[in-house]
Amino acid sequence: MAGPHNVETLVVLQPIAVDTDSSDCKGMLVLANGMLVAVLVQLNHSEEKQKGRWFIEAGFGRLRDLRQRPFDTLDDATRWLRQQMKPNVVNRQS
Amino acid sequence: MQDALIRKLESYEALSKQDHEALRVLVPKIRQVGPRTDLISEGEPPENVHLILEGFACRYKILPSGQRQIMAFLVPGDFCDLNVFILDQMDHCIGTISACQVADIPRRAIDEITANHPHITRAFWWCALVDEAVLREWLVNVGGRQANQRIAHLLCELLLRLQAVGYASDNTYPFPFKQADIADCMGLSEVHVNRTIRELRALGLITLKQRHLTIHNVEELKAFSGFTANYLHLKNARWSERRSVPWLVRAQGS
Repeated sequence: MAGPHNVETLVVLQPIAVDTDSSDCKGMLVLANGMLVAVLVQLNHSEEKQKGRWFIEAGFGRLRDLRQRPFDTLDDATRWLRQQMKPNVVNRQS
Repeated sequence: MQDALIRKLESYEALSKQDHEALRVLVPKIRQVGPRTDLISEGEPPENVHLILEGFACRYKILPSGQRQIMAFLVPGDFCDLNVFILDQMDHCIGTISACQVADIPRRAIDEITANHPHITRAFWWCALVDEAVLREWLVNVGGRQANQRIAHLLCELLLRLQAVGYASDNTYPFPFKQADIADCMGLSEVHVNRTIRELRALGLITLKQRHLTIHNVEELKAFSGFTANYLHLKNARWSERRSVPWLVRAQGS
């Protein structure tokens, strides 16, 4: 079905170092249609089961104050973020 | 078995032999409850007052998104619902964190004891007042302190509350909490809790070993979190001689 709400948000990731006051410092700026919406950080110094996962360190706009579990991969994170950026998403936590 | 309760009540009010006796017969039905088990759920009618004799429990709500918010941790000697038994239905859940020994006290027994034992009644009021004061402090915590201070503050609070009922020694106490429990009461992510615990360990302030937490420098941890024990109204932090409730004393004398 074609329609204005089905237009995919363009999500772009840009590598960035992030000071988290821990050794988790490898991050990605998440830009949605050119605007900064979140900062992802790869967990490095966490428990073994979390190591390598991607965590929403900070969110802006509609992603603000969300407590989301870390994602297994960057692809999973991007997919979820793209889903949240759809104009008609109301329930933002999964 | 009711030692934790008696110790706690006596930290608020001096109790007589008769008061002790009344408290001993207050706990007719004791049961063992496994960890992570609800004692009562939101919407249920509360029949009994629950008293934690051993173990840790919490007061919580589940949001429509599935997110859990913990509003209180309950330790030995704590009533889960001293006043809520007046309610028609629970507006929140009470569940265990670790395995617990719980006493179910019929509301009639509470009515009787409050009618006949004014010092116990006053100690019950203290319990309710301190529960509220703790809740206020948690609000301050969530609204006004940084993540690492919030957690450090909770660790100081638990130490003092557990010391008051004889469940802490050498600044060490049982710590059955998962990082998710701390996250859900502090409004933080598990990742932030994990980082903070690591930071507090790295600073040499705490050790977590075999589900026991040791605070190595209590004064430093208090200073770090801006902890002041006044809200717990423990005996050593109060002015019990100067404190009086004139109208209650008059009522007792009549």
